[in-house]
Amino acid sequence: MQVFASYLHLLAVAVYLGGSIAMEFVLGPAQKFIPPAQAQVVGQKSADRFLVLVWTALALFPISGMLLFFAIGAQHTSDFFGHSYGQTLFTMMMLWVVLVVNGTLITFVFRPKLAEKAGAGTTGAAMSDRMKQKELAATWISRITRADLAIALVVVLLGASLSYGNGLL
Amino acid sequence: MKLAGLVLLSAGWCSYLGGVLVMELVWRPVQAHIPPSQTGALCATMGRRYRWMALAALGVTAIGQLIAFGPPGFALAAGWGVLVALIVSMGLFVHPQSHARWAASAAPAQQARARQRRLGAIKVMGALLRIEVAVALLLAASLAPQLAHSPHL
Repeated sequence: MQVFASYLHLLAVAVYLGGSIAMEFVLGPAQKFIPPAQAQVVGQKSADRFLVLVWTALALFPISGMLLFFAIGAQHTSDFFGHSYGQTLFTMMMLWVVLVVNGTLITFVFRPKLAEKAGAGTTGAAMSDRMKQKELAATWISRITRADLAIALVVVLLGASLSYGNGLL
Repeated sequence: MKLAGLVLLSAGWCSYLGGVLVMELVWRPVQAHIPPSQTGALCATMGRRYRWMALAALGVTAIGQLIAFGPPGFALAAGWGVLVALIVSMGLFVHPQSHARWAASAAPAQQARARQRRLGAIKVMGALLRIEVAVALLLAASLAPQLAHSPHL
C-alpha cells in the first residue's frame, strides 16, 4: 500500500514539476522558430493537453498523499499539527491550495482570454484593446507558471524532509 | 546532507520523468495538428534542448542518490545506464538523421535513399522514446519505496 501510494505521489510530482519545466524550457522557447500563427496553434493544443495532466496531478496529490499518510500510520501521533512533522505537512497542503488557485486562474480566467477571437465587425481600437488584454493574459500566465514551479520545488524540499526526518518547520 | 541528497534525487528524477511524459503525452499528439515542415523545425530545437535537460536531470538524480543512499544497487544502476544510453543514442545518432537534409542537386535515387533514411530515423526515434517512457516508469517504481521511507514514525 505504502509503495503504491508513494509511486502515485512520485508520478504526480513528476508530471507537475517535470512537465512544467519541459513546457517552460523545452516547448516554449522552440515555438520562436516557427511562424507566430503556427506557434499559437502549438501553444494552444499543447497547453490544452498539459492542463489535463496538471489537473490530474493536482487531484492525485491529496489522494496519494492521504493513502501515504494512512499507510505510514502518521495519524496516530498525538497533537499531530503541534509537531514539526504535522506543521510541515500542513504547509504542503496550503501550498497545494495555492497551486489549485493558480491552476484555476490559468484555466478559467487567463486562457479563455487568450483564446478569444475577434468578430467580423471589430473596430481597430477594439482590436488593439483586445491585443493588449491578450498580452497581459500571456504575461500573467508566464508569471504564475514560474511561481508554480518555485512552489513545486519548495514542496519537493518539504516532502523530502518528511521522508527522512521530522519536517523542516 | 542526506536531506540535500534526497532533494536532489527527488527534484532531478521528477524533472526527468515529467519531461519524458510531456514528450510522449503532450508533444507527440500535438504533432498531428501542425504541418510536417513546422514539426521538423520544432523537433530539431526541442530535441537539442530536451537532450541536455534530460542528461542534466539524470546527473542530478545520480548525485542525489550517491549523497543520500550511497552507490545504487544493480537494478537502479542498470536502469540509469539504459536511460543514458537511450538519450545519447537519440541525441548523437538518430535525432540528427531524422533532420538530415539533402542537396537539391542530388540524383533522384540519392534523394530517395536519403528520404528513406530520414523516415527510418523518425520511426526509430518514436520507438526509442516509448522504450524510454517504459524504463523511466519502471525505475520510478523502484525509487518510490526509497522516497517514502519515513523511519521516524
